[in-house]
Amino acid sequence: MTRGERPAAFERSGDQIQIHLEEEERELIANLASQFRSALAEDTSPDLRRLYPTAYPNDADKDSEYASLVHDDLLRSRLESVEIVQATVQANSIDPNELAAWMGLFSGLRLLLGTRLDVSEDDEFDPDAPDAPTRALLAWLGLLLEESVEIATDYLPPHAHQ
Amino acid sequence: MNPGPTPVEFDNPDLDHDDKTEVDRPWIVLVWNDPINLMSYVSFVFQKLFGYSAERANKLMLDVHHKGRAVVSSGTREKAELDVFRLHEYGLWATMQKDN
Repeated sequence: MTRGERPAAFERSGDQIQIHLEEEERELIANLASQFRSALAEDTSPDLRRLYPTAYPNDADKDSEYASLVHDDLLRSRLESVEIVQATVQANSIDPNELAAWMGLFSGLRLLLGTRLDVSEDDEFDPDAPDAPTRALLAWLGLLLEESVEIATDYLPPHAHQ
Repeated sequence: MNPGPTPVEFDNPDLDHDDKTEVDRPWIVLVWNDPINLMSYVSFVFQKLFGYSAERANKLMLDVHHKGRAVVSSGTREKAELDVFRLHEYGLWATMQKDN
């Protein structure tokens, strides 16, 4: 699922980012945002493990302390991203904070789908495989994330360390 | 496994303004290679969270990609934990450990 000759999905226009997406693409994103929200509600699902990584791999006590400290914040920031995308999915343009939420959704969905697919770096795309549609979705989200990274990089402040 | 920072990245005082002795920075934050996150995204996150230059962020990202991991920050346990949390918020696979 490539976007071929079409313009990049995001284009900087001063303080705003123009969105160039087809209606079906916007519907798909809205749909995926709802699915992501539902998936986040299945709090103990192993599919979510990449969204709540281990901080202390060599210390189970510290790690469970860390996990209970940050879990709700991590969940809240992902739900906020979902809400912002749902509120702006039909917009012609968004601001950089809203773009950050779109990126959060793309990235979170990719972690979820990639975990479900158990992807590895050497995977070759096989259009006949049963999981091909999900893999195509992962690639499409990757393209959108790539295009948003390009724009978001533009908005970074001059780096602190020369 | 050598969890210590490589000289090129971390022994240059121009690159690391809070560079101090080992005693002052007992915790290191590692980012691990994973097959899902995009290289451009990982590099962006390093720039965004740590204020690193594109060059430094890219080099760290390539270390993650080719060597399997890179030390991306260090400091007190509290600072390291906050950095790990922010990296987790962006979906990166980050861990922390004592730099011994």
